[in-house]
Amino acid sequence: MHLSQKNRETVDACRYCWMCRHICPLGNATGQERNTARARALGLSMVLRETETLENVIGNVYECSLCGACTKECLTGWNPVAMMLEVRCQAALEGVLPDNIRKLLNNIGKTGSIYAAQTLAPQLVKEIESLPPSADTLLFLGQHALYKNPNGAIAAIRLLKKAGVNFTVHKDEPDSGFALHFLAGAAEETRKAMQNCAKRLNDFKTVIAYEPDDAKLFLREYKEWNIAHTAEVKTWTTFLADLLDSGTLKPKKSDKTYTFQDPAALARDLDETQAARKILSACGVIREVLLHGKDTVLAGHAVMTEYLPETMTLVAENRWNDAVNTDADVLITASSAEYAALKNTQPKTIELLSLEEVLLRCCST
Amino acid sequence: MHDFLFAMFVSELEDAVGRENCSTHPIDKLTHSVDYFWLSRMWTDSGCRMPEADVVVSPKDAQEVSKILKIANYYKMPVTTWGGGGGTQGGPLPVCGGIVLDTKRMNRIWQINTESMYIECGTGAIYKHIENAANEKGYATMHYPSSLNCSTVGGFLAHRGIGVVSTKYGKIDDMVLQMEVVLPNGDIIETSPAPKHAAGPDLNQIFIGSEGTLGVMTKAQMRIYVQPETRRFRAFLFKNMSDAFKAGKEILQKFKPSVMRLYDEAETGSIIKKIIGVSKSGAFMNIALEGVADIVAVEERILLETFKHFGAEDLGSEYGEKWWKEKITFFYPGHALDLPWMFGTMDTIAPFDKIEKIYWAMKEAVETNFPMARFIAHFSHWYEWGAMIYDRFIVEEPPQDPLEALRLHNQIWNCGVRAALANGGVVNDHHGVGIKLGRLMKEQYGPAMQVFEVLKRGLDTNNIMNPLKLGF
Ligand SMILES: Cc1cc2nc3c(=O)[nH]c(=O)nc-3n(C[C@H](O)[C@H](O)[C@H](O)COP(=O)(O)OP(=O)(O)OC[C@H]3O[C@@H](n4cnc5c(N)ncnc54)[C@H](O)[C@@H]3O)c2cc1C
Ligand code: SF4
Ligand code: SF4
Repeated sequence: MHLSQKNRETVDACRYCWMCRHICPLGNATGQERNTARARALGLSMVLRETETLENVIGNVYECSLCGACTKECLTGWNPVAMMLEVRCQAALEGVLPDNIRKLLNNIGKTGSIYAAQTLAPQLVKEIESLPPSADTLLFLGQHALYKNPNGAIAAIRLLKKAGVNFTVHKDEPDSGFALHFLAGAAEETRKAMQNCAKRLNDFKTVIAYEPDDAKLFLREYKEWNIAHTAEVKTWTTFLADLLDSGTLKPKKSDKTYTFQDPAALARDLDETQAARKILSACGVIREVLLHGKDTVLAGHAVMTEYLPETMTLVAENRWNDAVNTDADVLITASSAEYAALKNTQPKTIELLSLEEVLLRCCST
Repeated sequence: MHDFLFAMFVSELEDAVGRENCSTHPIDKLTHSVDYFWLSRMWTDSGCRMPEADVVVSPKDAQEVSKILKIANYYKMPVTTWGGGGGTQGGPLPVCGGIVLDTKRMNRIWQINTESMYIECGTGAIYKHIENAANEKGYATMHYPSSLNCSTVGGFLAHRGIGVVSTKYGKIDDMVLQMEVVLPNGDIIETSPAPKHAAGPDLNQIFIGSEGTLGVMTKAQMRIYVQPETRRFRAFLFKNMSDAFKAGKEILQKFKPSVMRLYDEAETGSIIKKIIGVSKSGAFMNIALEGVADIVAVEERILLETFKHFGAEDLGSEYGEKWWKEKITFFYPGHALDLPWMFGTMDTIAPFDKIEKIYWAMKEAVETNFPMARFIAHFSHWYEWGAMIYDRFIVEEPPQDPLEALRLHNQIWNCGVRAALANGGVVNDHHGVGIKLGRLMKEQYGPAMQVFEVLKRGLDTNNIMNPLKLGF
């Protein structure tokens, strides 16, 4: 297996290091030793020493959500996420991808979506068709909201309409490249998908990225890969917070208590933790979960749910325990994928809402 | 075992814990074959494979553990319990194959009892997680080992672990109230409802330190404490270790600091210099005082007076605070001792009248017999009657050949531990015994070892529990 010098060093650093195991959402949810950065690195180190095969460890590499909690926790700066991404790309090149991963990549090849979905929910189509065909601002919903969480997408559109924002949504929205990047790292196909998407973004002055994972790609990976786009990209949370700042949205504060599920892509990758809190403190009272902000714990994943559904159910259930411990009335999400995962595992004692749902409620009363 | 019989065996285990919690996949076997033991790391680094389990199971509670142990007895298969794999003595390594029983699914927090000040949890809970749970309610576990993030409640109990504020709050064996244990035959028992009783010997203390050889601890009530109103640090530089010992002993007759760490001249000049930035020579000592602010203020005054009397230079609070902030940084790759070096921590404990002698004897034994080895130490857990030595040897250029390296490693260990034993020390203070030091147990205990052996034979009639560990 070929691996860059930097990632070889990461393999060697992590394989005998136990310091970040407590933070791995997969390890904590499944209780499996293999779901730790050290175990993944140990497997890879044995592949590099030719006493194990990549086929035998690759499944474990795909059990990593790339959430970056270990990287954030690492006091000496090692980055297992970069290591996993390179290994995924290598596995694709060497033709040793697990079957379930190959199937998802084939879906993208054939339909442009990992979900192999080509039709949108009729209610969502109606909502999109109610928008002007062109505008300065694009709401980029992302694959998950389009195909798996149309209610979230509809709520987002309605909120922007309510705020009087002049915007549009693509019915044939291109793939941002997120799933390809997650599954195959820096493969040529990923680059092509990103380039194709960037071209479409360039038709707009402002792009609001509804899903944090897409926002991360637009704001970080596209730049790192020199994929130019001229539009100003804003995360959904920042855009909404700006609407509050400008007085366009004026929520009424209630005595409800909210706890916020920071999406890892926002909090860790984009260093954005305050926008959602600004919104929520205008709507009610925030009760923080112990591990929040940059220490957030993954609650759901747009791609992993497709190939590890039972595991991701455990991940969501685990995060619910943390939220319930806050005694807050409502758990608030800012990611379509996390919302869906949490909805499927919701306990009876606490409500679940997306940020747009809270704002729709608080701005209407 | 024949393939057919093995398939029958595995299907019974799957029935006990569910298919998804029973694995024969190479990745599960591999990741349970290397712990924090230097030899297991060196062996795999050299491209060799360590002994592996035949199957890895992850039960969710005592009932499932019980089923596993009954199946193991029936098939006469070894069972090695694995917590976090953070042990340094090879304790959780399945050296005879068979079953690895991973406890981490038994991580439920059953209750946080603030009336009686304990958390009841599954022993597979990572200690950091129960610390988080305590913190959420405004309390703390006060068990802060450097492996807080990675080791489990059961692992610490099994190895008699210790954390940095132990001088005030005690060792793990002081922190447990009641436990649920699955005996080797699969019976589930509970220890006495409260410790400190007079209803016969203390069952807790039979299983604490037993390293998975006498059963599997599945649930434990661990003490919690109110968060201290204040925690204040003060660092000192002593001219030599003897003065520091005398000062440490004297302060402990007056009150208990939480942190008490004395570094020998070698460690002061290396690690403390590098990470904390103290550049003077001597023996560095870091003290933390904590609790009610008014009491701490008085303790601080007494501390300054007492240490002054022994000629200590007061370095103020900054170094101590820095040390507290960086205390686990020492253990991350890049700062921690790592391959290709050979190293080991030979912690031991003794009363004050022997401890200094043991330190010099171990240092001399290691350095004279193995001139290629460096010897450094600190003294980090203190009692009114004595202290422990956290002494380490380091060989920067060990043999390349893994067998030669293993031989040298074991020779140094034999030499160092025997020097401790000869001068009134013990095989180990808080890392346990495992496969690393099993051979030395009989040397320490002599005929007293039969007490353990009778217990082992009586409880584990088929000798399936963690064979070749703890000297069994
Ligand atoms: C970076 C680092 C720093 C460390 N610092 C400290 C420190 O400051 N203080 C300290 O005390 N130790 C320290 N250690 C050592 C280690 O954390 C302890 O030895 C700890 O007790 C091991 O727990 P574990 O859960 O990792 O157990 P494992 O290594 O998995 O197992 C250890 C032993 O316990 C047995 N065992 C595990 N769970 C059970 C159970 N439920 N029932 C019965 N037997 C069981 C196993 O069979 C094995 O024999 C450190 C280790 C690391 C990696
Ligand atoms: S990321 Fe850092 S803390 Fe985690 S295993 Fe690697 S070296 Fe250790
Ligand atoms: S990136 Fe996240 S899921 Fe992957 S090993 Fe690190 S903490 Fe675990």
